[in-house]
Parts: sequence; C-alpha cells; structure tokens
Amino acid sequence: MTNQNDTQKIDEWKVLKRLLSYAKSHKLLVLSAFAFLLVTTLGEIFAPLVVKKFIDDHLTKKEFVLEPMLFLAVAFFSIHLVKMFMMYFQFITFQKIALKIIQQLRIDVFSKVQRLGLRYFDQTPAGSIVSRITNDTEAVKDMFVSVIASFVQSAFMITGIFISMFVLNAKLAFFCLSIVPIIYGIIRTYRYYSGTIFRDMRERLSQINAKLAESLQGMSVVQIFRQEERLRSEFEDINDKHYQAVLKNIKLESFLTRPAIDLVAAFSLLILVSFFGVKSINGYIEIGLLYTFVNYIGRFFEPINDVMVRMAMFQQALVAGSRVFTIVDHPELAPAPTKETDSIIDEGDVEFKNLSFSYDGKKDVLKNISFKVKKGETVALVGQTGSGKSSIINVLMRFYDFDRGEILIDGVSIKNYRNSELRSKTGLVLQDPFLFFGTIKDNIRLHNKKLTDEKIIEAAKFVQADQFIEKLEKKYDHEVVERGSTYSSGQRQLIAFARTVAANPKILILDEATANIDTETEEAIQTGLKKLREGRTTIAIAHRLSTIQDANLILVLHHGEIVERGTHQELLTQKGLYYKMYLLQNGLVEQSA
Amino acid sequence: MKVYFELMWFFKKEKKAYSTGILALVIVAILQLIPPRIVGMVVDEITGDTLTVTNLIYMILILISNAIALYVLRYLWRISIFGSAVRLARLMRRNLFEHFTNMPISFYQRKRTGDLMAHATNDIQAVQQTAGFGILSLFDSLAQGGAVFIAMLFIDWKLTLIALIPMPIMAILTNFYSNKLYKSFFKAQEAFSDMNDKTQESINGIKVTKSFGQENEEIDSFIEQSEDLLKKNMVVAKVDGLYDPTISFISGLCFILALGFGGYMVVNGDLTIGKLISFTTYLGLLIWPMLAFGFLFNVLERGSASYTRIKQLLAEKMEIADLPTAIDEVPSGNLKYAISSFTYPNCTDPTLESIHFELAKGETLGIVGKTGSGKSTLLKLLMREFDLEDGAVYFGNHELKDYKISNLRSALGYVPQDNFLFSTSIRENIAFANVNAPLEEVEIAAKLANIDEDIKGFSDGYDTVVGERGVALSGGQKQRIAIARALIMNPEVLMLDDSLSAVDAKTEETILRNLKDNREQKTTIITAHRLSAIKHAHKILVLENGKVIQSGTHEELVEKDGWYREMYLMQQLEELVEMGG
Repeated sequence: MTNQNDTQKIDEWKVLKRLLSYAKSHKLLVLSAFAFLLVTTLGEIFAPLVVKKFIDDHLTKKEFVLEPMLFLAVAFFSIHLVKMFMMYFQFITFQKIALKIIQQLRIDVFSKVQRLGLRYFDQTPAGSIVSRITNDTEAVKDMFVSVIASFVQSAFMITGIFISMFVLNAKLAFFCLSIVPIIYGIIRTYRYYSGTIFRDMRERLSQINAKLAESLQGMSVVQIFRQEERLRSEFEDINDKHYQAVLKNIKLESFLTRPAIDLVAAFSLLILVSFFGVKSINGYIEIGLLYTFVNYIGRFFEPINDVMVRMAMFQQALVAGSRVFTIVDHPELAPAPTKETDSIIDEGDVEFKNLSFSYDGKKDVLKNISFKVKKGETVALVGQTGSGKSSIINVLMRFYDFDRGEILIDGVSIKNYRNSELRSKTGLVLQDPFLFFGTIKDNIRLHNKKLTDEKIIEAAKFVQADQFIEKLEKKYDHEVVERGSTYSSGQRQLIAFARTVAANPKILILDEATANIDTETEEAIQTGLKKLREGRTTIAIAHRLSTIQDANLILVLHHGEIVERGTHQELLTQKGLYYKMYLLQNGLVEQSA
Repeated sequence: MKVYFELMWFFKKEKKAYSTGILALVIVAILQLIPPRIVGMVVDEITGDTLTVTNLIYMILILISNAIALYVLRYLWRISIFGSAVRLARLMRRNLFEHFTNMPISFYQRKRTGDLMAHATNDIQAVQQTAGFGILSLFDSLAQGGAVFIAMLFIDWKLTLIALIPMPIMAILTNFYSNKLYKSFFKAQEAFSDMNDKTQESINGIKVTKSFGQENEEIDSFIEQSEDLLKKNMVVAKVDGLYDPTISFISGLCFILALGFGGYMVVNGDLTIGKLISFTTYLGLLIWPMLAFGFLFNVLERGSASYTRIKQLLAEKMEIADLPTAIDEVPSGNLKYAISSFTYPNCTDPTLESIHFELAKGETLGIVGKTGSGKSTLLKLLMREFDLEDGAVYFGNHELKDYKISNLRSALGYVPQDNFLFSTSIRENIAFANVNAPLEEVEIAAKLANIDEDIKGFSDGYDTVVGERGVALSGGQKQRIAIARALIMNPEVLMLDDSLSAVDAKTEETILRNLKDNREQKTTIITAHRLSAIKHAHKILVLENGKVIQSGTHEELVEKDGWYREMYLMQQLEELVEMGG
C-alpha cells in the first residue's frame, strides 16, 4: 500500500518536473515575471515599514511635523502605485508563461497524434484522443494559471515576510517561525486525506454520469421491461453515495482548510500579543513593531489559504498531465521508410508480390497476394465484407506496415520511398469522403497553398463537380459545415474527386468510391471517375460491379485470398463467385437456383 | 434574486440547516471584530503603561476562546449551507431521473442524450452553487460588511466616512471588471470549443490527412487555432489581473486617509493609537464583502437560467398514461390489428395504412419488407410506445388502451433491433425483467437463445461484465443475450424485431426450433430481412410503404410471383456468394 503510494508520488513529481521544463523556452518571460514579482513582494514588505515609522516617529510621540510626514505619505502612496503596476505585470506575465506552456503542450500532443500510426486510431476511440488533447490539457492549464503561479507568489511572499521579520526582531521572528511546521502538518494531513476523498468523489460523479447516460440511451428497454422503479432506486443509491462523498469532502475541507488556517492565524496573533505584552511589562517596546508584525501575520496566511483551496485541482491536473504524456510518449508511430532514398515515382506501376499481412500477428487477413498494374490501367478488387479489400489499401498507403512479401512501385519497394513522395503520388478517395469545416475551396485545396484558385476551379470542372458548385450561392466559397452534412453523399464525393485531381497523383486508389451515391449525381460521378483515371494507375475497391466492368484486371477476394482473376467478360464466363455476385447485384436470378 | 423565491420550498424544507448556517455566519462576522479590537486595547495599555499581567492573561484568554469559537462556527456554517446545497442537487437529480423514466419514447426522439445529460449535470451544478455559495455570498457580505461598518462607526464616525471615500470606486470598478471578465471568459470558452471541434475533426479525418501527406499542414493549422485560444485567454488574464492591483491600490488609499486623519486625531487626543490600529485592520475586513457581492450576481444569473431550464424539462408531460378506467388484468388471447392509418408525431406521411389482420393465440407471425416499410412500427404500437388515433389493436377481449400499461407490457417480451445491453454482468442483463431470478432460470433462457455455451466460455461466466469495462461482445452474441432477456419473462407475446440478423444460419435455426418447442400456446412475432427467420411462421405479412402487399404462408408465397419470391431466390444466391461460390 505504502509502496504504491510512493510510486505514484514519484510519478507525480516526474510529471510536474516535465511540465515545468516547458518553461525553459520562455526564459526571458520567466525572468521578467520573477523581477516583477520581486518588486511586488518588496512593496508588500516595505509598506508596513513606512507605517511603522509613522507610528513610532509621529503617533506615539504625538509629533506632527509636516515635512517628514508628507515624505512618508508620498512614500507610502508611491509604493502602492508601483506595487499596483508591478502586481498587474507580474500577473499577466505569469499567465502568459502558463498559457504558452499549455499551448506548447497541446501542439506537442497534437503533432504526436498526427504522426501516430492508423493502428492507434483503430484501437483508441476518437473521443478519448480528443479529450486528451483538449480537456486534459485544460486541466493542466487550470493548474498552471492558478496553482503554480499562486504557489510561486506565496513562496516569495512568505520568504520576504520572514526575512523582514528576522531583520526587525530575530527573537520574535523565531517564535513566528514555529507556526510553519504546524501549517506544514495541516497541509500534509489535508493532502493525505483529500487525495482519497477527492478521488472517491470524482469516481461517484462519473458513476452518476455513466448511469444517467446509459439509462437515457436504454430507456425504451427499461420501459418495455417495466424496470423504471428498479432503475430509480439504483440511481438513488448511486446519487446518495455521491452525496455522501461530497459531504465528506465538505467536512474535510471545513475541518482542515480555511477554518483551520484561520485558527492558526489567530494563535499566531496570540503569540504576538503575549510577546509584546510581556515585553512591555518588562520594558519599552515600539508600537510600530507590533503593528508591523500583526500586519505581516495577516498577509502571511492569505496565500496559504489560496494554495490549499487549489490543492485538489493540483492533483487532478497532474493525473491529467500524465495522461497527456502517455500519448506524447506513445510508441505506435506511423510506418516510416526503412531505407530513405530519393527515389521518385515517375510512372506509377504497382506490383504486389506474395504479400501476406495480419493486423494482430495471428490471423492473416491477406494471403499471398500478387498482381501487377501499369500506368493507365485499372485493377479492381471485389469481394464480400471482410474479404481483405480494404487491407490491400491499408498496406499500399503505408497506413500499416507489413513484413511478408513486397509491394513495388516502379520496381522499387514502397518501403524505400519517403512518406512524402509516396503520399504526394498516391490519391486515395474514400467511401465516405470526409469534408472539413470551411469552404468548398478549402476542401479541394486541403492546406496545399501552392494551389491557385484557378487550379481549384479547373480540378472541379475536370470531374464535373462545377455543375453543382456553380449553383451554390457563394460558389467555391460556399460553407462546408462539420463533416459536410449539408451536401449529398454524391456531392461530397465529387468534391473529394476534385481534391484528388488537384493533388494530381500518379496512382489512384478508390475505396468503394461509388458505393452510396444518389441518382442525381450518379452520371457526374461516373464521368468524373473516368476522367480521373486517365493516364493514372488505378486500384479500385468496388462494391457495385457495374462501375468496374472496363477494368483491365478484376481480382475477386475471399477470406484474404485471390480466388478469381480476369476481365469482366472472362470472369462471367467462368461462372464462379464473380458471376454470382454479378447476378445478385443485377437482381437476376439464376434459373437453376 | 428571483431564483431564491423559486427555491423557497427548499429553504423551507432545510429551514434548520439554513438558519443554523446563517446564524453562524452572523456570529462569525461579529466575533471577527474582536481580535483587532484586542490588539488595539493592548496597544493602548502599552502606550498608557497600564498593562498588567492579569489584564494580559485576560485578553489572551479572550483571544483563545474567540479563536476556538470561530473555528467551530466556521465549520458549522460550511457544513450547514454547503451541505444543504448538495442535498438540493441530490434531490433535483433524483426528481429529474424519475421524470426521465416516465417520459415516452417520443420524448427521447426529440431530445438529444447530450442535452439531457447537460441538464442533469451542469444545470444542477449551477443551482447547487446558487443555493450554497450564493447564499454564503449574500449573507456574508451583508453580515460581515454590516458588522465591520458598525464597528468602525463606533470607533469614530467621521473617520469612517472619510476613510471609506475611495471604497465605492472599488465596488464600481470590480463590478465593471466582472462584467468584462464574464464576456471575455465566454469568448475564451468559445475559442476552446472551437479548438475542441478542430481536434475532433482532425482525428476523424486523420485518414484523409495522412493519405494526402498533410500532417505538417494540419499541425500548422492547429497551431494557428491554439494561438487564437492563447490570445483570448490572455484577454481574460488581462481583465482578471486587474482585480488584485485595484483592490490593493484603493485599500491603500483608504489606508492613507485613515492614517492621515486618524493620526491627526490621535495627536489631538480625539483618538487612541490602539483604536486607530483596530480601525485600519477593520478596513481590510471590508474588502471581501464587497467582492462577494459582485460574485453573487454572477452566481445568481447562472443559477436562475439553469433552474428555469430544469423546470421546463420537469414540465414535460407524460403523453401515454393509463386511462382512469383501465382494467387491472394481464392481457392474453388473440391479437387483432385494425389500423386505418398511423402517422408518427411531427411527421406528415403516414407510416402505416390499412393494416388489418388477426393472429390467434399461440401462432407465429412473420413480417418482412424493406427498411422503413413499417415493420417495427407494428411492434411499437403493440407496446404502446405510441398510441393509435385512427384505428385500434385488440389483445384478448379488449383494446390495448383499456389495459394498464404495466399489465400490457408484462405480457410482452421484446427484443429490440439495436440490442441495447447495460454495462452490468451478463446474468443481470438476462434477468433484467426479474432481478431475483435464480441462476438456473437465467441459464434456461440462455440455452433457449443458444448463448449459454458462449457465456460459459467467458472467464467470469455469467458474471462477466458487458461493455466498455468488460468483454466486447459480437453483434450476434448481443442479439442472443437480448433474446434470452425477453425469454426469461416467458411472455404471452414474444417480439423479435430483426433480432436474428447477426447470427449465422445454423444458430438461427436452433433458436427458432427452441422457440417452437418451448412456447406452446404463446404468440410470437418476428420481423426480419432474412426470410429464413420467418419461414416457419403461421402467417407472413409483406409490407411495403406501410401497406400489406402480400400475405400467406411461406409455401404459398414462394409459389406466387412477387416481392417474396424474388427475395427468396435472391437470398439463396446471396448465401452461395457468402460461402465463396
């Protein structure tokens, strides 16, 4: 148990250290923030000293001399004025550092995610990745902007106050120092218990949310099976446990945070009063000194309260931070070239040589695949769901690495091309074309700044996407909402075609590009597709056999193997699997069946 | 403030806790005045050289007892007020949940789960804040502000008025800041959710990005987005950062005024040094009440909006309820559909038209047709997820509406299309309708649904947990568990809503045989795409666009030209293709 706690603590420290190391690239900002903080702290410490002088030199002696008094007033005022500006600069500089650190952390984790292999995305739900990049970093942000900044400020303040106290009266300062271990004890105790209680509270809350979400989703089942009453009592049970946990947390906080710190503050006042009281009975003391100490003690506890309130957030944030770092450190990188050469894809001839592939290392989804396709030719892959069609694309696009067999482009293994070369010469059109938020133009251009507007329009015209785009209100600047849901699937597909034409690849890969289109755009799509294929090597996964009848080679896949190959006519005469699929799709029923 | 009147029912309910808490707050406000005064008195006795050991001990004792009393009272008001607020949250959550369980299916079609979740989490949170932190801010600012002000007046009213001149400026400025902060905070939140959307989109579109090799450009655009967020957060910081310097400067001004005029009075003998020191400490105690008042308005604004939303949700009516004349009898017997037409709420075209048929007790009905032809709707009407207006469905001797809903549903075992399972153990999922069913019964149902062997193969058998935190079940396994869940009720009418689509032909046959052998004198309705699932039915209906286009037995329908025969031949071919030719 203790062991477990210890390892967790070490991890927390590591996470914190790693987070703080991000500050290194903002040295100047950090330096100026500390300079501002130093001045602010000096102001906090010197202002009571001015008052002390006023009390001792003028009030107790009842001497009202204008000039020195005016001087003190001006000094007091200027200290406050300077302090006001310094406080402000210090605050925003610290905020800036914190925000920059978080920005960098976000960029780091986002960049890392972009470089992860597709395997990672297959295994991890998108929601959880997004939550790491945004929510978890946001939790770290909260910690940085509120906890760490206030912690640093408090540390400065407390140190400053003690130095000043020691200069003023070492003996009394020493007495006051005795409250430090007490406060440390309170913080330790609070931290010890709050960790468990806070975790329990979070756990209960997520149970409530899970129960709620599940009940809402399955409400029809609940109602049909008449289990409303039971669900209610189950929910009530969880709701109540959550309540107990929250109450426990409130009790702990009431017991150990502000009220306790205030109690310690009251006792330190007690120390001061007794010290000065006893001393004054035995001899003379300066009232100003008493005032200064009382004032210091007052200032001393505010930052501590601040830090304690945020303690729970601190632990939360470190957990979130460690989750972020697990992504940053994730080893599942996208496949990289094994031997980086400057090979260029000129023609785009593709050859598969005895390729076998497995996702999990156990079950082969592709077995001994061999075929060849030349520039200007089309090879089509057909087969049932799960026959291995999409896996062929996954390995060809280098989304997944393979280790048995070879894929050659222009006679060179694809593992030897730079990823950038490979990607710029291959164009993938997906079954459900993904559109990004923005405009039509943005979606055809896709970050490629070299593409002029003319080129974009040209590309759209080429695939006949211009017909519907021209009818839109803002034409090429028409908005595309999330996932392009305001466009029909056919229109989305046309935009994706234009996108691919604009990128001008040598090798075209169509992943069931015509699987679900509406009749309205069907013709445009067919012509667009035909034009797209001109002069390119095309590898097409087809669901609708009618779209691939003119392919130079059709491969019929079944359970990862090529079971039939040939042209449309050849395969029809074979009367095998392809023939049956063809009949099925055309609604023709074999008489013998 | 309106929201406090609306919440009055709760405050009344928690009268004791709230009055204890508020009383404690008031006493704390008064007791807080003592330590500064003691320090002042000590100073005066020191300067007047009148301090004696007894006096000192006396004052120390006051300080000690005061400190302990404050600690206890502070603990007390927190527990009372914050505790009550949490109870309010618990209560509202319970009411909302109960309300959710009473809402008809149409309600869930209108509302998104995410929105409903937000009401039960964020809105309740905001109301909790109002009943907790809001009440604290309200009474604390009044009590502490008032007490300190009065104490200052007691020391010297003229000095009080002079020293407080700059205070209203602080109140105005901080109020101004909080409005600005609210707005800039809102913008930062928006920027954050934009970044969230961007990230979401980027992850969903990762395949496109990768296939175009544009990871770097994608990163650049993310950097741009994060830059925007940084800027907007800096705006927040720039406003947020104004608070402390303003407070410190203005209280510094008050301080100078107090010291200047107070000092003058001390020299003139109108005031003692001790009193002046007490007075300056009191000045510091005025800052919090002033801030708290500002916070209060923000809390109230949010709480009031949230409370309104929750009330609106609770005001949603139960659309389908028992008739007052409903008979208390579990239905049994023949089923008779006599539907002229049925249209879903908020739809214009009817989903079902002139459906008339009868099914004798113990018979099996098969319903086939394309997606959207109205197959599931026939089942939904039987369960009274929706009520018919034009037509009626009879069960036994009465119309469906004449039965109590719970009685009607106890006669129906439904296996839904989406085979929704709860993330509990398999046993609990199967025994959903009867939690106390012994394991033997659960096993019998599982055996009938041909899932028993699968379950026993899992590491924890029937105690294996389903879903994210447990075993990932295949679609076919889920379907069979859902079938077992309906079978354990041994219902009068069993409804399989395309529930055999994910199991293979052999399993399908086994399950159908089990049903036939074990459900004598019980009615079964099966909707399906695959004709093999309904081949043995006593009666088959073919639906198209909400109308019956063919009906009869399998043998009859296969002989006739039409949709059924075409489908039958097609599916035979499909089977061949699936087997690899």
